[in-house]
Formats: sequence, C-alpha cells, structure tokens
Amino acid sequence: MGYTLLQAFAFFVVFIALLEGIARTSLISNLLPYNSLGNWHYQFDIKWFRLKQYVANNGGVDVIILGNSEVNTGFDPDVVTQIYYEKTGLRLRIFNFGVDGLTIAPNSVTAKLLVEEYHPALLVFVTEMRDYDAANGLDTQGMFLSDPWVQYRMGGFNLTGWIVDHSLALQHYLPYRNWMRSDFPNAFAAFLQTSHETSLAGYAPDYGVMSTASVSKPNASADNPYFDSSQPYLVDPSRLECLRAILDLARDNGPQIVVVEMPVHPVFFDYAGGETVHKAFQEKMAETVQAGGGTFLPAIDEVTIPLQGRANLTHLNWRGAPILSAYLGEQLAALTNQEGMMFVNEQNGDSQP
Amino acid sequence: MNITTLSFAAFVVIVIAGFRLLPARFRNTWLFVACLGFLATWAWQFVGILLVIGTVNYFLGRWIGEAREGRKRILWIGIAFDVFTLLIFKYSDFYIPELTAFLARIGVEKGGEGIRLLMPIGLSFTTVQLISYLADIHNRILLPEKGWLKFILYVLYFPKLISGPIERARIFLPKLDHPQPLSAESIARNFTLIVIGLTRKLLFANMLNALIPSAAFVQPLTYSAQMLLTWLLAYAFVIYNDFAGYTSIARGVSGFLGIELTSNFNTPYFSRSIAEFWERWHISLSNWLRDYIFFPLSRRLRKKFPHPNHVINFILPPLVTMLVSGMWHGLSVSLLLWGGLHGAYLIAERIPTLWAPKVLMDERPKWQQVVATLFTFSLVLLAWIPFRMDLVAAKHYLAGLIIPSRWVRMEFLWMSEVFKGHLPVGDVYGWNIPDPRVFLVLLPAILLDWVQYHHKDELIFLKWPRWARAALLAFVTLGLFLVSFADSAAPFVYQGF
Repeated sequence: MGYTLLQAFAFFVVFIALLEGIARTSLISNLLPYNSLGNWHYQFDIKWFRLKQYVANNGGVDVIILGNSEVNTGFDPDVVTQIYYEKTGLRLRIFNFGVDGLTIAPNSVTAKLLVEEYHPALLVFVTEMRDYDAANGLDTQGMFLSDPWVQYRMGGFNLTGWIVDHSLALQHYLPYRNWMRSDFPNAFAAFLQTSHETSLAGYAPDYGVMSTASVSKPNASADNPYFDSSQPYLVDPSRLECLRAILDLARDNGPQIVVVEMPVHPVFFDYAGGETVHKAFQEKMAETVQAGGGTFLPAIDEVTIPLQGRANLTHLNWRGAPILSAYLGEQLAALTNQEGMMFVNEQNGDSQP
Repeated sequence: MNITTLSFAAFVVIVIAGFRLLPARFRNTWLFVACLGFLATWAWQFVGILLVIGTVNYFLGRWIGEAREGRKRILWIGIAFDVFTLLIFKYSDFYIPELTAFLARIGVEKGGEGIRLLMPIGLSFTTVQLISYLADIHNRILLPEKGWLKFILYVLYFPKLISGPIERARIFLPKLDHPQPLSAESIARNFTLIVIGLTRKLLFANMLNALIPSAAFVQPLTYSAQMLLTWLLAYAFVIYNDFAGYTSIARGVSGFLGIELTSNFNTPYFSRSIAEFWERWHISLSNWLRDYIFFPLSRRLRKKFPHPNHVINFILPPLVTMLVSGMWHGLSVSLLLWGGLHGAYLIAERIPTLWAPKVLMDERPKWQQVVATLFTFSLVLLAWIPFRMDLVAAKHYLAGLIIPSRWVRMEFLWMSEVFKGHLPVGDVYGWNIPDPRVFLVLLPAILLDWVQYHHKDELIFLKWPRWARAALLAFVTLGLFLVSFADSAAPFVYQGF
C-alpha cells in the first residue's frame, strides 16, 4: 500500500509538472486566453490580468484609477492621458481598475495589492458617499475579502491562495472551474462579454442613457435604494479607516494619492439627506485626505455633465465618461504644472515624453 | 461535520490512532467519546436526544429479554416509542405551524420552533435499527445487550450514524468486542473504499447535481423532453453515487477501526428485474424491510389465506412493504407514490409465475438480459420522478417526457451561429440540446459501475498492477483537486432521511 501511495504521489507530481509546463507555453496562452485567480468577483480577475497585460505591453503603469463600477464606466484612461499630455507634454500610462460593487473596504485591500504588485506613481481613488455608509455592499465585501488568494496576498498564508498565486496552469483552469454548474454557460458568456467590453486600459463604456423620469426626488425613505434608510446619513468610522489605509500607502516611497469624488447626479444627495449633508461629507473627506497627505478633488459641478452623459443617477455613459476623464486629466496636469507633482513612474520604466 | 471535509479526515485519523494505540479495554470508551464529539459537531442537542432514545431502548430490550410473559406487549411499546419519536422529529413540518400558533395563543412566543432545530441527524436509520434490535430479542434470536456503553455505541457509532448502513445488532455488537487487526490487506481495502466513495460523491454525484438547473424539478414544462430526460438520467446517478459514495466512505472508515459494515449497494442499475434491483439497492434497508415487514406480513396472511397465489398474498406483502419504504423516506404523497410504484412493479413482475415456472435470468439469452436491464432501469428512472419532486411537478415532468410535441427540434444552427460570433449567447437552454456535460460525467460513473459489475468485485482495482492503481489514484486526486475550486457543494441527498 505504501509503495502504491508513493507511486501515486510521484504520478501526481508528474501530472502537475506536465500541466504546469504545458501551461507556460504560448500554445496554451493562445488556446486559453483567459486567466483567473478564482475570485468570486470575475470582473476583478479580468481587471487584474488586463492590467498585467497592460504592464507587459507598456513596460509599466504610472497611474491606477481605483473604485467601483462608477469608475469602470466613468473614466477613459486614453482621454486622461491625452489631456494630461496636451497640458504638460508628458504621456502617462494610466489604467482603470474600477470593479463593480466594490466599496471602500475591499478597495483598500485592492489598493494595497496593486501598489505592491505594480508600484504606480499615482493612485487615484474615486469615491462617493455610499462608500462610507456602514450598511452598503457588505455581502460583496465579505465574499471578496474571504477569497483565499486575496487572503494569501494580504499575508494570511493558506495553501489554496499560495497554489493559485504560483500555478499558471491553475490560473488557466480557474475561469472554467464552475464548468459543472448548470448556470456556467450563461455565466461564462457574461464573463466573455465583460472581458470583450473592457478596453486594454481597463475602461468599459456604458451605452445606457438616463431617462428624465429618473431625476425625481424620493417620495419616502422606504423608496431609498441607495442608503440605509433607517437612519440619517453618517460617515462610518471603520470605513473612514479604510480611506486612511489607502492614504497610508503613500508612506515609504509609495504612490501619491489623489482622492476624487464621483460626480453623481445631485438628486442622489436627496437620498442621503440633501445638499447640507453632502457638503458635510465633502468637508470630512477634504479634512481626512489632507491629514493623510493626499489631495482631494471634490465632484465637478453637475451642469458640466449633461443628463445625456449619464447612464443613471450614479454612473456616466460613453458620452459622460470623456468629460469626467478630461476633467481628471486637467486636474492632474494642474497638480503637475502648479504644484510640481510628477506622476511618471520611474520604478517600472519611463513613460514616453 | 460533513464526511467529505478535511476536518472529518483529521477527526478520523485521530480516532483511529487513539483506537489502535489504546489498550483493548479502553477502546469502546474512546469510540463513545468520538461518537459524542462527532454528533456534537452537528448540534450538541443531538447528543442528549440520541442518548435518551438509546437508553430507553436499552432498558426495553432488557425488559423484553427478562420478561416471562407480555413480551409482545413490551415489544409493541418499544416500537410505538421509536416510531412516535421519529414522527415527532421527522414530521415536525406537519404539526409545528399548528403547535406554534397554539403556543402563541397561550402566550408562549416561538415555543414550537425549537423542535425543528432538534431533529437528530440520521434518526430514520437509528429508528429502524432499534426496532430490529427489539424484534430480534422478542423473536429470541438475540440476547439483550447487558453493557450500556456497548449498546449505545451500536446506536451512535459515527461512521454509520448519518446514513447507515442499517446494521443488525446481532451482527454489529460482537464486532465491537473483537475488532479486526489492521493488516496491509485491510488498509488497502479500506483506503480503496474511501477513494471510491470520494470519487462517487465529489466527482460524480456533486457534479451531476450541479449540472441540473434548479428549475428543472420545479417547473419542468419550461424545458424540452430531451432535456428533461437528460436531467432525470443525471438525477438517477446523483442519488445513487451520493448514497453509495457515502456508504463506501463509511465502510472504509469503519474498516480502519476493525469493524466491517454491511455493503449497501451492488451496481443496482445493472439489475435485470425490480426484485433484483432491491437486492442491489440500499441493501441494508431492503433486507430490513424484507425481514421485519414483508416476511411477518406474508406469514400472517398465509395463515388466513393459505394458497400462496391468493390475490391477497400476491399483492399485499410487496405493496405494503414498498409503501412503508416510501413512508420511511418521508411522509408525502409523492414518496408514497414512489413506494407504490415499486410495489406495483414487484407485483407485475410476479404475474407470469402464475402460469409458468420462473426462468432464472442467468439462464436466459444474453440479449434478453440486456433488454431486461434496460427495461428495469427505465422503470426505476420513472419512479425517481415522484421521489425527487412534489406531485404537481412530478405530473408535469412526466407529461413533459411523454407528450410527443415536447420532443422539439434541437437548435444546432442557432448554436453554431453563436460559436461563429454572429449571435449573442442568450440562454443556452433555448437551444433544446441535451447538456453534453452531463454525459461527460455520466460516462466515467457508468464505467466505474460496469468494471465492478463485470468483475463481480467492487474492489477489482486492488487486483490491477501497482502502476495502474497508482496512476488511477493520482488521476482521481487531480480530479478532486480541480473540483475543489468549484463554487458549489451539494449536501448528501440521503442526509435528510
């Protein structure tokens, strides 16, 4: 029995070595172009490997724009690059790492992972009021943070996370790991669609257009789909700690941090308690970001982004995204020209002048 | 603690090590502690409930054994106690709403909810074992067990606790006194049983179960007939591999403790008649039903109607036995229908023997045996419909299979357009093409059974050359490793019974 087990182990090692060897050939990369880290949130996987590809193609990344779906559809890195170039003569390599449904807690972890892996010169974190609502996005947060690979990368050693991190064969297999589930064909189709819609720089335009009917104030707190309607809006202290964790990444030669407020439609603030509450939120953000050594850019005036530029109250569409992207380009250029802040990454290759 | 988890594996290793290292006189105490620990991982309340049920039966057994008269009355008290206990816990759904409403009326809020939570795992299996224990003492084929600890181990023994096999006390109890020593042969045998069990459960049952959309058994008329047939086929192999896999693991684990458990399955889908099916499917329950329902009922009826082919003798014993089997699985009309169908099959199968002597299957031409196997499997498949779903859904499922217009065209053209990129995927079920993934999993599942059936040996793999065994083990391990990354895991189907 002992010999059989030993022999079986040897066979197993040979199988694994063979699979790993084959997985590292270009043949497999061409046949199976998708990779995954086994994360429940498949869009995170798409963005992670798209960024890897971006870095391989461009020799590095200077700026990563981080946030939720509002970032995913709201910032076109090519437009930011172009505007910044026009104003400064410097060409930045910018990647959009917006992932649907991730609030500030998972994003503070993602920020750390991205900084450790890709060493960007600037991290732009895009946020809005819901990020600091204690009841918002808890399920997604729990699922994302309990992922073995995320845990492993955050220092909590586990065998699954280690294997996923080191095995290219497994990373090729994981997009298909649910092949035996009845919903796999439809789920995989959604994965492919998301992957195809995401540009090489991580931007995925939204082609929806907000209807004028959506711009109506909430009738009652029960109609509030955005905030915990049982209480007035409060900035949750633990979530504010997550923002501080992102700002702390700037320490020890880390990236510069710019926190941008997402320009959601003004009606959205009515759900939170009105413009007064929003102003208080902005003040809290400015104070926290300044204390953490970062730069806070409050939301641009709502008039700048027309209704046709919005997909809904919180998301911009393909018309609105270039406007917001241009605004970010201008703001970054202003920081460079007026305050001498440089965002070109010298650690992972020079940007093209 | 689910038996396919790593925590169970660690638990088993500790229990086996302790059992083998301790002096013989402490072994049963060690097993008792392990059983309590295992039970408590499900719910600590189970420990108390099963200890009480076991202790009551322990004293009832001694009472029957020592009584000079009124033994039958005590037996019936015992049976009534066990059946009543089962009814209280298992069929709580029927009375808890009323009980809760009643308690609320008298001012006790949420008073009825606790009973549902306390339903002990494997109570159906425990109950039939206890009834057979009392009946065997009554029939003087077993002496009551004097040692409380040993008897309680018969009740709580963790490898068989959740889903059997249903062991007879007269066979099981002596094994506790003389567990078999470990040998190279027994280690190989038990290890192989566990690997086969894990393969059946994790690679076949769980995967096939995940491939069946949840709506298939709720709104079957949403799908075409060919898809319903595919999923019914998949379900037949889910329930078989799930249960057979569990039993195989339980037998392997118990074998390491030197206590051999009854084999519960013997390639049942290769049966050539329904009677043979019940000799190969859930064998320990079939034998129990035969010995404690079928035979006593037949004997009693023969006293009233002496002719063996009297219509009462012909119909009642198989029908009642299979209805009891249905009720044991759950108190629902659809499960009664499942039992009734099998009862009807058994009766129909015996009809030709009324005018012609029975020709043994083994003596018939091979083609007849193959046809009989396919026919038997079709009947079993049909009966799985009410077993799996409620009566309304079962009716729709059957209609979905037999109405000719439900066999609609398969949209291969649509599919090819999608693959060429000319059309979006949409909903693949709209193509009406039976899921090829089901057959991809079914193929090795059938192959495993065929190898075992063909060689009449469930452990035929032990006779393979070492390199072939090792390669197969490595391959299975790789499969289990890859499957472990999937996002779903189905519970044991039989755990609910």
